[in-house]
Amino acid sequence: MVARRRKRAARDPQEGIPSPPGYSAVPIKFSEKQQASHYLYMREHRVREGTNSSWPQKRTLFVLNVPPYCTTECLSRLLSPCGPVQSVELQEKPDLTESAKEPKSKFFHPRPVPGFQVAYVVFQKPNGVSAALALKGPLLVSTESHPVKSGIHKWLSDYADSVLDPEALRVEVDSFMEVYDKKIAEEEAKAKEEEGVPDEEGWVKVTRRSRRPVLPRTEAASLRVLEREKRKRARKELLNFYAWQHRETKMEHLAQLRKKFEEDKQRIELMRAQRRFRPY
Amino acid sequence: MGPAPAGTQLRGAAGELEVMESILKVTGKEGKKQSSKSHTVPGSPVEGLLKPVKLSQAELYKEPTSEELNRLRETESLFHSSLLRLQVEELLKEVRLSEKKKERIDAFLQEVNQRIMRVPSTPETELTDQAWLPAGVQVPLHQVPYTVKGCFRFLPPAQVTVVGSYLLGTCIRPDINVDIALTMPREILQDKDGLNQRYFRKRALYLAHLAHHLAQDPLFGSVCFSYTNGCHLKPSLLLRPHGKDERLVTVRLHPCPPPDFFRLCRLLPSKNNVRSAWYRGHSPPGDGSSEPPTPHYNTWILQDTALESHVQLLSTVLGSALGLKDGVALLKVWLRQRELDKGLGGFSGFLVSMLVAFLVSTRKIHTTMSGYQVLRSVLQFLATTDLTVNGINLCLSSDPSLPALADFHRTFPVVFLDSSGHLNLCADVTASTYHQVQHEARLSMMLLDSKAEDGFQLLLMTPKPMIRAFDHILHLCPLSRLQAACHRLKLWPELQDNGGDYVSAALGPLTTLLEQGLGSRLQLLAHSRPPVSEWAISQDPPKHRESGTLTLGLLLRPEGLASVLELGPEADQPEATDFRQFWGSRSELRRFQDGAIREAVVWEAVSMFQKRLIPHQVVTHLLAIHADIPDTCVHYMGGLLDALIQGLKETSSTGEEALAAAVRCYDDLSRLLWGLEGLPLTVSAVQGAHPVLRYTEVFPPTPVWPAYSFHEQLRERASLLPRPDKPCPAYVEPMTVVCHLEGSGQWPQEAEAIRRVRAAFQLRLAELLTQQHGLQCRATATHTDVLKDGFVFRIRVAYQREPQILKEMRSPEGMISLRDTPASFRLEKDTRHLPLLTSALHGLQQQHPAFSGVARLAKRWVRAQLLGEGFTDESLDLVAAALFLHPEPFTPPSSPQVGFLRFLFLVSTFDWKNNPLIVNLNSELTVEEQVEIRSGFLGTRAQLPVMVIITPQDRKSSIWTQDGPSPQILQQLVLLAAEALPVLEKQLMDPRGPGDIRTVFRPPLDMYDVLIRLSPRHIPRHRQAVDSPAASFCRGLLSEPGSSSLMPVLGYDPPQLYLAQLRKAFGELALFFYDQHGGEVIGVLWNPTSFRPQHFKASNTKGHMVVSQSGESVIVPNIEAILEDFAILGEGLVQTVEARSERWTV
Repeated sequence: MVARRRKRAARDPQEGIPSPPGYSAVPIKFSEKQQASHYLYMREHRVREGTNSSWPQKRTLFVLNVPPYCTTECLSRLLSPCGPVQSVELQEKPDLTESAKEPKSKFFHPRPVPGFQVAYVVFQKPNGVSAALALKGPLLVSTESHPVKSGIHKWLSDYADSVLDPEALRVEVDSFMEVYDKKIAEEEAKAKEEEGVPDEEGWVKVTRRSRRPVLPRTEAASLRVLEREKRKRARKELLNFYAWQHRETKMEHLAQLRKKFEEDKQRIELMRAQRRFRPY
Repeated sequence: MGPAPAGTQLRGAAGELEVMESILKVTGKEGKKQSSKSHTVPGSPVEGLLKPVKLSQAELYKEPTSEELNRLRETESLFHSSLLRLQVEELLKEVRLSEKKKERIDAFLQEVNQRIMRVPSTPETELTDQAWLPAGVQVPLHQVPYTVKGCFRFLPPAQVTVVGSYLLGTCIRPDINVDIALTMPREILQDKDGLNQRYFRKRALYLAHLAHHLAQDPLFGSVCFSYTNGCHLKPSLLLRPHGKDERLVTVRLHPCPPPDFFRLCRLLPSKNNVRSAWYRGHSPPGDGSSEPPTPHYNTWILQDTALESHVQLLSTVLGSALGLKDGVALLKVWLRQRELDKGLGGFSGFLVSMLVAFLVSTRKIHTTMSGYQVLRSVLQFLATTDLTVNGINLCLSSDPSLPALADFHRTFPVVFLDSSGHLNLCADVTASTYHQVQHEARLSMMLLDSKAEDGFQLLLMTPKPMIRAFDHILHLCPLSRLQAACHRLKLWPELQDNGGDYVSAALGPLTTLLEQGLGSRLQLLAHSRPPVSEWAISQDPPKHRESGTLTLGLLLRPEGLASVLELGPEADQPEATDFRQFWGSRSELRRFQDGAIREAVVWEAVSMFQKRLIPHQVVTHLLAIHADIPDTCVHYMGGLLDALIQGLKETSSTGEEALAAAVRCYDDLSRLLWGLEGLPLTVSAVQGAHPVLRYTEVFPPTPVWPAYSFHEQLRERASLLPRPDKPCPAYVEPMTVVCHLEGSGQWPQEAEAIRRVRAAFQLRLAELLTQQHGLQCRATATHTDVLKDGFVFRIRVAYQREPQILKEMRSPEGMISLRDTPASFRLEKDTRHLPLLTSALHGLQQQHPAFSGVARLAKRWVRAQLLGEGFTDESLDLVAAALFLHPEPFTPPSSPQVGFLRFLFLVSTFDWKNNPLIVNLNSELTVEEQVEIRSGFLGTRAQLPVMVIITPQDRKSSIWTQDGPSPQILQQLVLLAAEALPVLEKQLMDPRGPGDIRTVFRPPLDMYDVLIRLSPRHIPRHRQAVDSPAASFCRGLLSEPGSSSLMPVLGYDPPQLYLAQLRKAFGELALFFYDQHGGEVIGVLWNPTSFRPQHFKASNTKGHMVVSQSGESVIVPNIEAILEDFAILGEGLVQTVEARSERWTV
């Protein structure tokens, strides 16, 4: 079909690129040298009424199938002719909410290896979106004026980036812990304040830090309690006391044997089917 | 649309279970047909998968019938378990002859009888005058010397009797033999026919004449000669029916003398019946009375006279006792699986039948016993009784004229007298064969006593060919060298006795010689028995040297292998001369530390690899000096595969030493960590978590001293960086070490905060190690890299409670429960399970020095087949460990070669679908627990991964196989292993040399849709390739220790980085295969399911394009662009992208 497709492409180049309903397809290539191109499928970002989306209406362009070598900066550069770009966000999957504003720490959240992604491009003005949808392409990711690294060069620079400055890490850890300690201290202070003070209905909250600690409310703890109860009961029970108990044990044994026998039979059946009994 | 479904097995268009099913198909060729049939039945339950049994309450608790109770009781008392009983019954059904076939055979026998009686007689001629023999038939005997007195004429046999197992009903399929004894009429024989092979000549002529006439009969499909049990003096005639019954049965004709023709006293083991004057042309020096005895010759005559009496004895004993017959059949299967029953001196089925008869007569076996119990009793008897010292006797009479057992012990290695008291049934059995039988019996008894394993499978269904059972194998070839050896060893009497068969004459002395020489290194020495050949009646019988090769198998004792010294007696002792004589020029006087001056032999061996091959040196040395067999005739198969795990430029070691050096360095580091001062919490434990630290890294790390000029230098971070204008620098993989800190209540209880505190610890650790010990360190948020003596370690600080905190979930009611999350699972695996596994396998290596070699060879092979990334390191290590911890029915391997063969066997035959592979590290699992795990397994099978490996630390989830392999990959591995095993075994069993041993390590490339060829310049481990390139690129290493102030480039492997990108971007469209050890090619397989045109969905447009197909717009993968992406993503690394378009025409 490769051949077939090529033929068709040669036959009617002017027909336009097929695109799914509602989307417009823009070819994108890594560089001039590449023959075939991927297609960006774009549309204006819209949501059904009642759904929450933090992306600004009208100004956001939703782009599917962004190739792995196309970075945020690159996409922003490629789309800037359509109008000033406010932000570009690349994601694994379509996601309605804008990601957390604060940038993730490069120490604790190393950048994942990119695959094909989706992008939300927010233009400063709504007409950027319509201009983008009308793009003819093909867009070039890497040009002479703005080369994009790939292959060996990319890995070299990635390796260099992965050698981080320990001092910066220390600073980050310290500042995080400072905030965290403060938060914990506040919480504790609040808990202490509330301790022993009945609420409006008169209930007193008892915590692990209270003078008389209670059982922690965990599943493991409650299981332990149940287990203990069960053992206590088992100790009290008399086995082999009544005749029916005796009879039942025997029957139980028989049932076990029967079950085992059935299992074995099944196994044998299977082995027979596989000719496992032919020794050589 | 979509790739053509035919072709490779890897394409798993079908669901997971279907693929699992096909895993099983390989196990039995027959099974293949069956299950492929089941494919056509839609909606049928998955075949070949066991499901938990569900019985209704009513069925479980109904009143038992007396029949059922009886059967249950019988099973309990006569068999081990009901499963075993069923298995034994099935097996017997499989090997037994069906009634229908029996009828056909009986009819055939009738015919044979008539034809034999109709063969015309001939006039009497001299034995040496054989002109009467028609053309087209040759005498099936080497007539050396030719001249012999006596006359011969052919007369139809006086009696034709069926003897042997067919009559007893103990013969087993697949090759059914019916033995027929032809009693030659008395007129043919003369007095003194026992002398000088006259009887055997007549016997051979008798057969030749018979053969000529029977061959013209259209009743027979084939008429040919063979040797009776491989004995060169006793040919027999094989008849096979014509047409479709040809494979059904082989009738063997054995001429025998009339009863009471030979006088038994003439055939005692001490008597001579082959005169030297006749045989060698001159009398022995001295008077004529010192003729050497000919015990074997005598025995062979005796065997012919006793054919009928043996059958009578056996039929009275086995007669109506079904259990005994079952037992004999089982024993025959047992022997055959161990290749013990064939050839001259084999422990044949007849011998075991007699043994059963003996045990019945001594009341060790009762006629009511079941087949299983008979098997057990015989094995028990064999395991505990050494017939080489204490012979046994079936003869009950206490006639003083009978020869004493001791007489037999003097002449025969193994003694088992028949009911006449004159015939040693085990006359041809060599001591080493019997020891092998004993060894096997002992192993089997151990297996039967342990309840954990499926004894039946391992005992009766697993073949134990020599190559897989013995650590080292050696072939002696050409066999004609043994003739010279016989002369050198002065074995003329034995040659005379054996009728010139120098192979069997030399066998005994040679094995004793080697056993003595190998001493403490040897556990068992076994030899192959020359196979029994068949030849057409128009041909001369095969020469002795044509009887294949002599193969010896050595089972080594690992403790004995460590020493390079053979300590002899003190120089002034009289034994010193013997010692010197034995070892020849290798023996030398040495002074030892305790002041003693002793004779000693020292072998040159430094590394483990060389020490393992000391037996090779011993064998070639001894054979050369004592038996005149030059080392060109000794083809030793012991360390051939070791070359594959030898590092670069290393030819004298297989890396055990390098691994030990790395482990020593790690020990030093852990001591430094323990003693570190100034950490807020002290170090409570340091645990290794890297394959190097459990001796299973294929290529052990070497200390690295990078050349700074080759790299870019990042001084402010004290690191080296790779340079774009140079080839990729050497690959350095840091060894992971987990460092636990003492408990403290000060740790925060929130995942994010814990990570920050850990990072702080990592920083502090780096700081302190640099300050206190001057080590080069580099800290990141998750680990600290430390450069020590050229090795790089990656220390990870672990907090015990962290996995638990990651697991905590708070329910709406405020109840805290623990649930596994991917993050907690990963963390637990890295910081808890991995160190435990590493230390357990480290311990295993101390017990079994061959473990490292086996595990590395196995891993090497899997990776060389491009499947390495489908399996975790740990899972392959555990499979290798299973070979040592559960070697049954073998013994733990002592050489990488045999271990690797068993790895292939295990992988290709294990039923992953219905069984977990239990690896009982440190024997922590009790038998009951193992049984429980097995039964629990069936119930949870659907939730478990395709390959389930259970260890004492991980009894439920099989953590090391959770993320792979996928069913397709596992199936591919099973297939490849099943193909590689016979190829490799054939190579190793080929006496002319193994040829190219790397054949099985080269992956088949024709199955891949796209091949991406990589440039060697950027493959850092290029030199590790299976076919190591003659020249590669400089990787920027100094050969001398240099400065260590800058951290070398760590874990920088462009092919791996490239693969990670490819998998991320195209993982849903294709599978990528690569050999991390210097592979130059990445194999790509398209995933057929993703090639089906789909409807547009925003979530699965990755790499796809929209096309309009019959008016509808659908999406298909944009292959042309993707192929170009392959080149773009790997710019600089990728040389070419070869698309084999015919395979994936969309």
